[in-house]
Amino acid sequence: MPIEYKKNRAVFRDEVTVEEAEGLLEWLQTRLGAKADLAACNHLHTANLQVLISAKTYISNWPKDAGLRAWLKPVLGPRDSNQEE
Amino acid sequence: MSSLPMSPLLEQFLGEARDLLECAAAKLMQLEDTPDDQDVMNELFRCVHTLKGNSGLFSFPEMTRVLHAGEDLLGMVRSGQQTYSSELADCLLEAMDFVGMLCGEIESTQSIDASRAAASQQMTEALRKLMPNLVPIEIAVEAPGLNGSPMANNASPANDPRSVRSRLACVPESIRRTAVVQCHEGDQLHWIAYRPQRECFFHGDDPLNTARQTPGLVWGRVIVSEPFPPLAELDTYSCLLGFDLLTNAPREELDQYYRYLPDQAEITAIAPHWLLDSAEDSDRPVEDSSAVPPTGVRQCRSFSESDETAFQKILAAQRQVLLLEDRPAWHAGRLKAVARVLANLSSAAGNTSSQTDIQVALGDALLTGRSTLLLAWLDAHRVNRTETVPGSNDTLRAAPAGADRGAGATLEDGSGKSLADEGIKFGRRAEDAASGPKSLKVDQAKIDRLMNLIGELVVSKNALPYLAERAESHFGVRELSREIKGQYSIINRIADEMQDAIMQVRMMAVSFVFQRFPRLARDISRKLGKEVQLVLEGEQTEADKNIIEALADPLIHIVRNSLDHGLETPEVRLAAGKPAMGKLTIRASQEADRVVIEIADDGKGIDPEVIKQKAYEKGIIDEATLERIGDQEAINLIFAAGLSTAKVVSDLSGRGVGMDVVRSAVEKINGTVLLHSELGKGTTIRISLPLSMAVTQVMIVESDRQLFGVPMDHVVETVRVPRKRIRAFKQSQTAVLRGRIVPLKSLNALLGIAAIPRANSDDELAVLLVQAGSVELGLVVDGFRETIGVIQKPLNGFLSSVAAFSGSALLGNGSVLMILNIREIV
Repeated sequence: MPIEYKKNRAVFRDEVTVEEAEGLLEWLQTRLGAKADLAACNHLHTANLQVLISAKTYISNWPKDAGLRAWLKPVLGPRDSNQEE
Repeated sequence: MSSLPMSPLLEQFLGEARDLLECAAAKLMQLEDTPDDQDVMNELFRCVHTLKGNSGLFSFPEMTRVLHAGEDLLGMVRSGQQTYSSELADCLLEAMDFVGMLCGEIESTQSIDASRAAASQQMTEALRKLMPNLVPIEIAVEAPGLNGSPMANNASPANDPRSVRSRLACVPESIRRTAVVQCHEGDQLHWIAYRPQRECFFHGDDPLNTARQTPGLVWGRVIVSEPFPPLAELDTYSCLLGFDLLTNAPREELDQYYRYLPDQAEITAIAPHWLLDSAEDSDRPVEDSSAVPPTGVRQCRSFSESDETAFQKILAAQRQVLLLEDRPAWHAGRLKAVARVLANLSSAAGNTSSQTDIQVALGDALLTGRSTLLLAWLDAHRVNRTETVPGSNDTLRAAPAGADRGAGATLEDGSGKSLADEGIKFGRRAEDAASGPKSLKVDQAKIDRLMNLIGELVVSKNALPYLAERAESHFGVRELSREIKGQYSIINRIADEMQDAIMQVRMMAVSFVFQRFPRLARDISRKLGKEVQLVLEGEQTEADKNIIEALADPLIHIVRNSLDHGLETPEVRLAAGKPAMGKLTIRASQEADRVVIEIADDGKGIDPEVIKQKAYEKGIIDEATLERIGDQEAINLIFAAGLSTAKVVSDLSGRGVGMDVVRSAVEKINGTVLLHSELGKGTTIRISLPLSMAVTQVMIVESDRQLFGVPMDHVVETVRVPRKRIRAFKQSQTAVLRGRIVPLKSLNALLGIAAIPRANSDDELAVLLVQAGSVELGLVVDGFRETIGVIQKPLNGFLSSVAAFSGSALLGNGSVLMILNIREIV
């Protein structure tokens, strides 16, 4: 499974495809304040990114993949300040 | 044919595309005169529609897109939503030319250069602009403004350089600086505003991935539209994000990369100095002075007088180069060379800080094709060097602005409606499409007419030998006779060559028929659970178009039979000690003036005993024949009409469903079909066809002072049989020829002529041994004449019901020769 759902944390691994988006959406809709762990994620489909943006999901761990991190941080990071790791 | 690397399908497409384009262009012209002609309009629509559909078979999105827009536009005109105007016609003609050019490109390179995507996009937009109710929608979408919503799918705000420049401000400054530095040697930077369609996920797109993989990516960001729908209202499968990208990849590469999404990705070339300008625009302090327009003030080292002269001379030379009006292919190289000279000069003068300025100016020059900025730099340098005019700053301030205007103008051309100007760059226009297609498509009727005429020529040239003979026998002029014969041989040779040439025109490779067999074999064998290896040989063998076309159905029939009834299932084959996979060979070859096609399988073969028995039961053969008939002959009985009902056949060896249909189809084109089968080893069907149907070789025989033609296909041999060697059994006569008993029949008797065959002085009868299917027969005639090639004409009117003759032909002396239909009379 590219996304492993823990109690209050979704752990993204490798490549997360478009098929995961619906499940992610449902999962997040029922869990306010859930976090996402993207450390092991290399790529996530745009649909998943939209869900994370819409849910304003807190990212507990940014992707190790520097390229992906650079893309995601501006849109998924806290709006007020550039969070430092 | 297939020696060309191009696939036949593509070849066909290109051929058709040319016709359709030509037709479309003609109809467009016609509509200019009669804009209300609905028929012409429909025809035009059909052309474009067909072309669009065809192009969809291949991966030519550039072409399909333009045609699709054209089709939509025509659809509106047709339904009266838009009126036909010459402006509209211009645009459509332009589009057709563009498609024609793409066709040419495909023909030569088998693909479309990715750089066409932009042109195609412009063309499409130009066409769509002419559609009345689409324009407002686009404007409405565009409305949100510069920092635009990512939803502006089809909008083109990004093409406005000012808008791009303002957006550049959001690129972090460090990245902008790096990008400019990397921009040495005139590499170009591009800004891509990628706005995926909402439904793009359903097309299998992952825009984030597309953005991430963009070649030469320097920087990129995700654009989130505001307000973003809350979680409860979010549609997972509707793409709401957009992307802004900065890349240093060349335009071609980007076009290639985004070739399937040109309407979603706006690619704008940006001059490197924009990046620096936007650094000024932004609030951040400018640390590097290189962004300040260059001046000569920083020159510090002083030259000796001679150096100074040389310096000025070099500068003057470079200035001249820059002022050259022509734009050769190496213009870019020229600009780079100038830039390098200038850079070296300024470093020689001790001014290192102007390197960036020169690079920026070069980038601008390469982008816009105008060297204003380089010239300005150069002029400022020269002026400053000599006089150090304090006001030189103004000149320079003005120069970049001028350059900007230049850049703006060219770029706006691209997005704007000035498509007519832009169109010229597309290359081939209607007037210079002089290099026509290599192959000619001619109406078959014209070829047929040509062939008939040549046929007449062949016949009338046959009159010359008669004339020569008359000259000698009637008028006694031997000399003249000889000369006529000499001329005849020349005309004969030319006529033969002409005939051959026209035949070549009509020739077609059997691969036309063969190409459907792999699929047929695969489908049938899968359905029947058999394993079949299909071997096709001699696909390049050629024959007349009519022959090839007539061959298709019988061949399919035979192949289906072989697969269905001939080849066994793998288990049966293994049990019989054969490999599990059956082999079906279809082989075409040319033998003299005939095409031979063999269909051979290694299946179970046909049992002649069963056939004989069935044929006897059906009354096809009598008891005597049943005893006399050999195995080979018996097997060929399956071509007999009465034997070929499905039930009988499946009770037998299972072969021969409609075999009589096959036979009659083959015989209709003067072919013969023979079957050879060995029980347990397989069956071979051999079809022999004439190369061409145009000229038939006939042997002329005489009977009761009349001449008759017998097609050479049926003639086995001509013999003289002494009357005393003819044996009579009751009414029928026979003779023993080469160890075989051959029934003899008098042609007179067969045709109902009340005369007995005349023997020659040695009391020998002329016997023409003919073969009709599996029947061999000796025709007793009065005498043999020559063999000639004739153009056989079918009998018309009530004569067509006379079955004894298959047709007539004209002889050289003007008389009519009746051609016997051997099958019918024996």
